[in-house]
Amino acid sequence: MSTPPPATPRGSAHTPPEQSLGITLRRTSGVVTFAVIVAWAWHGTGFELSRLAGSLAPLAEFLGRMSPPDMSTLDVAMKATAETLQMAVLGTFLAVVLSIPPALLAAANLTPTWIHQPVRWALALLRGIPLLLLALMFVAALGLGPVPGVLAIAVHSIGMLAKFYADAFESARQGPVEALDSAGANWLQRVRFGILTQVAPDLARDTLFRFELNLRESLVLGLVGAGGIGFYIQLYIRSFQYQRVATLTLVILVIVVLVEQGSVAIRRRLR
Amino acid sequence: MADPVLRLRDLRVRYGDKPPVLDVLALDVAAGEIVCLIGPSGAGKTTLLRLANGYVDGECGELEVLGRAVRFGPGGDANRRDRALRRRVGFVFQSFNVIERASVFDNVLWGSLGRQDGIGTLLGRFPEADRQLAMDAIAEVDLVAQASQRADTLSGGQQQRVGVARVIVQKPDLVLADEPVSSLDPVLAAEIIELMVEVARRHGNTLVMSVHLPALAQRFADRVVGLREGKVVWDGAAAALDEAAIAAIYGAEAPPPPPPVPEATP
Repeated sequence: MSTPPPATPRGSAHTPPEQSLGITLRRTSGVVTFAVIVAWAWHGTGFELSRLAGSLAPLAEFLGRMSPPDMSTLDVAMKATAETLQMAVLGTFLAVVLSIPPALLAAANLTPTWIHQPVRWALALLRGIPLLLLALMFVAALGLGPVPGVLAIAVHSIGMLAKFYADAFESARQGPVEALDSAGANWLQRVRFGILTQVAPDLARDTLFRFELNLRESLVLGLVGAGGIGFYIQLYIRSFQYQRVATLTLVILVIVVLVEQGSVAIRRRLR
Repeated sequence: MADPVLRLRDLRVRYGDKPPVLDVLALDVAAGEIVCLIGPSGAGKTTLLRLANGYVDGECGELEVLGRAVRFGPGGDANRRDRALRRRVGFVFQSFNVIERASVFDNVLWGSLGRQDGIGTLLGRFPEADRQLAMDAIAEVDLVAQASQRADTLSGGQQQRVGVARVIVQKPDLVLADEPVSSLDPVLAAEIIELMVEVARRHGNTLVMSVHLPALAQRFADRVVGLREGKVVWDGAAAALDEAAIAAIYGAEAPPPPPPVPEATP
């Protein structure tokens, strides 16, 4: 042991870590890169604040044409909203059922790499297909109405839901699963008792979240003739009946907010 | 001596090209024996237990578990256990490994999964006899009052009792335990070890467990096996385990863990 350093108020035996120039530069370059990307997007879209200011008057006029909302369409709005909700419910349900097998295959703790990796790629590919494109395809195949909408929602959801489910399976603690394996449980029993029991709240949360997304996304499906309230919105917009559009919009707002609040409340309770 | 429950011959386990973590010339455990493995950390206790349970493969040598022989090495087998064998070997874990969201009762009941086959099981329906067995096991580890509680509401000692009850319901012939009490305080540790030994004797199981305190081995085991750097350096009756033996097992560089085990509370 060397002699202890003098106990002056300023002189400490402990040197703080160096303020490296490299770290400072790296942090700065991160901010600069971010700024460059935003500038690129700004320039590319021709975004101008001055033009924005000039748009206020037409915007106000447009909103003016929407008020007062035409309440005589309320029953149409309710019926169409119910159909949209039904599409979202059934589409999400089908997606849940169809997501479980690929999710089991995509979980790294359940299958070898040569299985879960390709399945994950396939799911990413599926996520890449736009919902509207799927809806157009199913409308072409099955005709107008809510059924192609339901299928589009279901197929579109699988890509995300199966990935989320697989991530949840992977987050299960391995020890308890090993304990069941030791007791002689087979693969299906290990999944059912060891993994599903652990991650059930996660699966429920993921599903509710996907349902919220599906409800909002299914609003636009009517634009391509795949049923729901979106169909009436585009109908009334094309015939310049903006007061009716306003009614539909208000009903949508109420439903979306209600569903989101309910979903958040349920998700918070899961543990 | 009848056929051993566990038998190792010239068995070596190695990870990568490091020195072997386990290198055992010969080790036999007879039916009904209560054996404690002791030794400094890294001595190979966990590897030996995981090898016996089929989680780890040997590099060479022979392993026999409950009459099922495996030969490692070139042209040998992998240590794959089928369901019939897994069902006969119970395992108690250091980290308890209970399923936290499930009730104590379900955790214990699921120890019987090795015997269940039907679809009904997946829907949560179990034979009445196994449900009764689970309740009796819960009584045996003194958790009746907690039976319907979620496992994550229990203390560490209680969770390990669940682990013990789960193995009772499994009805194994051989019970392995890897440091079952090293995360518990000394009083609780002695209680749980005592419980495990009682349970093993009552159900006629062979019990092989590693413990972190030599005093626990001295007090509760029939036989103590001392491991050091992967080798068996001491093997004898627990009563013969003295200071000199402990010093030989743990060596000078790692003094034997000091805390004395207090007498169990009445």
